[in-house]
Amino acid sequence: MGYVKIRKDSIECDILVVGGGIAGLMAAIRGTEMGAKVVVAEKADTRRSGSGATGNDHFLCYIPEYHGNDIESIVHEVTDSLYGKWQDVSILRVMMRRSFDVVKMWDSYGISMRPHGEWEFNGHAMPGRPLINLKYDGRNQKPILTKEALKRGVKIINKMLIAELLTDGDGCVVGAIGVNIKEREPEIATFKAKAVILTAGNASRLYPGISPAYLFNVAHSPGNTGSGQAMAFRAGARLVNLDIPYSHAGTKYFARCGKATWIGVLKDYYSEPVGPFVTKPSKEFGDVTADIWTSVFKEKMANGTGPTFMDCSETAEEDLQYMFWGLQCEGDTSVIDYMDKYNIDIRKHMIEFTQYEPMLIGRGIEIDHRGAASIPGLYAAGDLVGNFRSDISGAAVWGVISAEHASQYVKNVDCTDVEGHKLILEKADFYSEMLSRSYGSNWHEANAALQQIMRDYAGNEVRSETLLCSGLKYLQDLRKYATEQVKAANSHELMRALEVFDLMDVGELIMMCARERKETRENHKRSDYTFTNPLLNNMFQTIEKTEDGVITEFRKRI
Amino acid sequence: MPPIINYELCNKCNLCVNICPMDAIQTEEGKKPVVMYPDECWHCNACSLDCPQKAITLRYPLSHMLLYLDAGK
Repeated sequence: MGYVKIRKDSIECDILVVGGGIAGLMAAIRGTEMGAKVVVAEKADTRRSGSGATGNDHFLCYIPEYHGNDIESIVHEVTDSLYGKWQDVSILRVMMRRSFDVVKMWDSYGISMRPHGEWEFNGHAMPGRPLINLKYDGRNQKPILTKEALKRGVKIINKMLIAELLTDGDGCVVGAIGVNIKEREPEIATFKAKAVILTAGNASRLYPGISPAYLFNVAHSPGNTGSGQAMAFRAGARLVNLDIPYSHAGTKYFARCGKATWIGVLKDYYSEPVGPFVTKPSKEFGDVTADIWTSVFKEKMANGTGPTFMDCSETAEEDLQYMFWGLQCEGDTSVIDYMDKYNIDIRKHMIEFTQYEPMLIGRGIEIDHRGAASIPGLYAAGDLVGNFRSDISGAAVWGVISAEHASQYVKNVDCTDVEGHKLILEKADFYSEMLSRSYGSNWHEANAALQQIMRDYAGNEVRSETLLCSGLKYLQDLRKYATEQVKAANSHELMRALEVFDLMDVGELIMMCARERKETRENHKRSDYTFTNPLLNNMFQTIEKTEDGVITEFRKRI
Repeated sequence: MPPIINYELCNKCNLCVNICPMDAIQTEEGKKPVVMYPDECWHCNACSLDCPQKAITLRYPLSHMLLYLDAGK
């Protein structure tokens, strides 16, 4: 392929939404309702893209008629749960206050938020504590939200990945560079937007997964590659909490979310419960051990007392039926299909669970109470936000909130001309080079190389000054080699290559932040600082690019 | 290759080509869909769920085996 095609006219809108997952579609729906002209750019197809592609079954929310008037106890419960403490409570509170509104919106669209008539809360729960996850049927959430967006006049451009944000001389976000991958031959498209809402999801594929031969055997969508975090950082936005690793858990070796959908007890080889939360199967609680003590699976393997299993053999038939229904709502139909094909019967078989590789979810772009990032014209919602986490409902609710504020913002700014922006030609040159190489490395090699460096030098087993400094050097070497050698035969391979370059950026930022957190906390385990430093309690670390270079800082959790 | 397309049932509507979140199924105008990047299948099952002809099933790679033992040992 010769020089990459560049579309002549740029695509103009008030708000460009980057990624058509749950957050992106909700941002588009709300932004259009508020009168803004919204375009969604999605690299796959909004009907089945993102981590909510084929469904979800738990929606974190506060419903006054169910929970009573004490929102604070529910907010507190969130930070004690799977979603964790790495969030600003002030931001979480804003989301929780709006969560019931969004539940009602979804219900009105035809997403079944009370499939059994009443508000039903269960799963991810501890005995004696409030239930915070609404059980719902999300299997068709993506096609339904796509329809609602189109009905309101949202322009959805599928097979369009956004590679870069464009900023003006004052550092305001004024557009983006896209790559159309619909045809074999890619085409660069430029977007002129008064505001951009980044909703590109989490970062998977950073560390080796449970089957190193299959890079895509990961629990969350492997199409989510930290691109939102990476392009926000490159544009000057502040990121936060990259130093604290998060690892999900679930079935081994078929990585999948949905551990709280299982109704059983996590047990050892001798059928003894491994956690303190439940000893009998409970539809109400599930077994929250996998949320609270995520390392239990690996620890028991390492000390020889493993493996650990999800045992549903004592679960009542009625609850098993409910669980299978839940797995379908969660989008886990392939797990059910697998068990059918291999005659696995959970009435008599227990299934091994494991902890998955570290990933970024609820680690990334710092937002304020409007969903705004630290640079003008940029907003963020969903799993790529760094000072907030609540997965599917967080994506939906912050999609709404960020769009409400972005649509106010765009009323007071004009569109800026982006034609001839130096970044466009710079990127076009680089893409053309990758497309014209007749031999070289493919993206797969670069991704695998990144993963092994991340595992060995910034993993969640051990970190130290010497490991992280060496790792940073190796990553920089890898980037140089990859820049010189990666080739892409077509638009698909170009997309994958760009994903890996974004992952490299994110990996480097993780290492820089991990170096600066000179203590051990949760899964950030420093062998040279083995203690937890009380001076860093409730302190979040930020990282951003300034005129003076990349700076990291600690700030108080707010 | 993870998704198996039964070409006797496939009507070349190419819905699977469009919705595959990993862009793993591809085609050329008017031609049948082909699983071009089987290693990039996420096994999300979208192609199988949404195929109007019910022409797609998933095959699970051996690397993805679910591990189990008899319960109540």
